[in-house]
Amino acid sequence: MISLLSGHTLLVFVGIPALVIAVVTLLVFASSIARGPRYRPGLSWWAPPVWINGPATTKPDPANLPELPAGSTPTATAARGVARSTGGASASW
Amino acid sequence: MPAGDAFTHDQLLDIERAVRHAEAASGLHFSVYVGGADSETRPFAVELLNELPDPDRSVLVYVDPAGRRLEIVTGATAKRQLSDHSAGLAALAMQTSFAAGDLTGGLVTGVQQLGDHAHQAPLLHANEPHQQ
Repeated sequence: MISLLSGHTLLVFVGIPALVIAVVTLLVFASSIARGPRYRPGLSWWAPPVWINGPATTKPDPANLPELPAGSTPTATAARGVARSTGGASASW
Repeated sequence: MPAGDAFTHDQLLDIERAVRHAEAASGLHFSVYVGGADSETRPFAVELLNELPDPDRSVLVYVDPAGRRLEIVTGATAKRQLSDHSAGLAALAMQTSFAAGDLTGGLVTGVQQLGDHAHQAPLLHANEPHQQ
């Protein structure tokens, strides 16, 4: 009788609270699990490069890109497929 | 950090939609690159722009999440439509979202803003007159 009572007591006072805690935890983290990993500034970047609307479907490897001639930062020659001069903006966070 | 792709399928669709919208509004080619650079970010972004089919009429948005750098590069023709000041305003909007960890939101907002700034109103006087 005592063992039956203690088993029932355990179920009510430990099992049910644990179940409730598990459900609430799942509800809290469900959205972030569904979204996948999130970018956190300051921590290392984990993903391979993505180029949206780039040339064909290739993704360039930074190591394989041709090097710029020394001292020719924003301006370049007017050869085919090369921007003559560039504008734009920069920012950091 | 767990391994995986930078964006989910839905996030990629959102960014691509913003790119198409910007292209339709401006007539320019828009491209977005997210990844690291081995060298300085600006020369690397210019190299990426030169990889595009028509760099003079292109706008490249380069984001280095690890280095926390953003570069907007406009080609020779594109910069007549999209001034450096307008690009700076879009960069500011993106910067705010990126600092909060929202890469997708920042890219969508920024590309939309770039497209809106580069929007060219139709020249009605240059159009063909209506046939009576």
